[in-house]
Amino acid sequence: MSKVKKNLVHYQDLIIKIREFFYSRKVTEVKTPSLLFSPTTDVYIDSIEVKVNRDISRSTDLYLHTSPELEMKRLLSKGSGDIFQICQVYRDNEYGSNNFNEFTMLEFYRIDFDMHSLVDEITDLLKVLGKTDAITKISYAQAFSEYGNIDILDADLQDLKKIANSLGLSSDYDWVEDLQTLLFVHLIEPKINQIPVCFIYDYPKEQSALAKIEGPIAHRFELYLNGLEVANGYEEIQSADEYRDRFNNELYKREKISKKHPIVDEEFLRDMKMGLPRCSGVAIGIERLFSTISL
Amino acid sequence: MNYSTSQFKNGLKLILDGNPCSIVNNEIVKPGKGQAFNRVKFKDLITGKTLEKTYKSGESLEGADVMELEMQYLYSDGEKWHFMEPESFEQYDLSEESMGSAIDYLVEQDICTVTLWNNNPITVVPPIQVILEVIDTDPGLKGDTAGTGGKPATLNTGVVVQVPLFVGIGDQVKVDTRTNEYSGRA
Repeated sequence: MSKVKKNLVHYQDLIIKIREFFYSRKVTEVKTPSLLFSPTTDVYIDSIEVKVNRDISRSTDLYLHTSPELEMKRLLSKGSGDIFQICQVYRDNEYGSNNFNEFTMLEFYRIDFDMHSLVDEITDLLKVLGKTDAITKISYAQAFSEYGNIDILDADLQDLKKIANSLGLSSDYDWVEDLQTLLFVHLIEPKINQIPVCFIYDYPKEQSALAKIEGPIAHRFELYLNGLEVANGYEEIQSADEYRDRFNNELYKREKISKKHPIVDEEFLRDMKMGLPRCSGVAIGIERLFSTISL
Repeated sequence: MNYSTSQFKNGLKLILDGNPCSIVNNEIVKPGKGQAFNRVKFKDLITGKTLEKTYKSGESLEGADVMELEMQYLYSDGEKWHFMEPESFEQYDLSEESMGSAIDYLVEQDICTVTLWNNNPITVVPPIQVILEVIDTDPGLKGDTAGTGGKPATLNTGVVVQVPLFVGIGDQVKVDTRTNEYSGRA
């Protein structure tokens, strides 16, 4: 068998295993549009703009989805129940040995799951895919106290600037969350790259994304495989008002750093008026995941 | 001249904390929900220490005017070690501190690599393999030719290297300067 064929079959085997995993748990496979009317509002994720129908005088700007998150949530709000999707996603301004403008994402949502039940299910999925290493679970705050001796939930912007300076790093950041991320990348990631499978959970509320917030923390987690970020998930906020607040917060930040200022996806918010069922969801980078599973 | 993170690559020489440094590893990290960073490992070209820093995309650092030149080691006057660039015949000297472990391996006329920062020599790297003479070692055991055992030998630069038992005073030996190991008779 040629090397190319061998790799293709290996990839196919893993995809089949993922599909069978979800079919056996009665999770429905879905396909949502990848050309959207609204770009993402995430401050540090950029949509790729596509101009269509110019030659038939119906020129429209569309945007390739950066993740199927909002479209899948629209299905959830309409009663889809548990769903999963494997699709290509597209992001602008990505560069590096682990970052590309296009990659494959597995995204799934589980009704009535809290963050920890979803982490357990991902653990089951990793086992099915042949990743049998011991699982480490550590909260964001524990990681910082253990590997950096820093009380991250208690540190404000000025505290974090002092820490960055003491490490010889720039402290020219406007937001607490950016300094938290700087210190995570600088101090924590190099330590957890010794750990084969590491879930980091309970992110500071400033990094909630679209996760439920409780006190100083958000019910959000990330999966790191030998220090490489592979998945991001959370227990989802459920009301249209909360979604509007989170989007507006991102838009405010985009404006502050002079990035393109997209409009909020009102159609999505209209669907959210029905409310999202209580659920948790996660996005997993397939290429990054598969790169850690040997042939 | 300043270099921004998008120009970072291995081998680029930059000024960090006042010292010239060379990038030995440059990793772009972009957290799913965060901004992009460059996690960079540097080697301080003066102290030899490794430094790790993280920059957000778009930060920049001052470039360091660093050159590596092949030079011939001429002599030492006890305080300074003198070198000559063979094409321009220009001479440079280094202090004992800057010489570092190169002192253990250089004999006159050897060609080595000297690093210049703003035209001042800061470090010297000896050839990977040098030939030195044994000036002192215990007599070896008779009949040992396989080099299974070992013994210390003092060489003409003063450095002590483990050599096989059959090596005697006056022998020329090859030494790997990266590991300070005997690699054969010359």
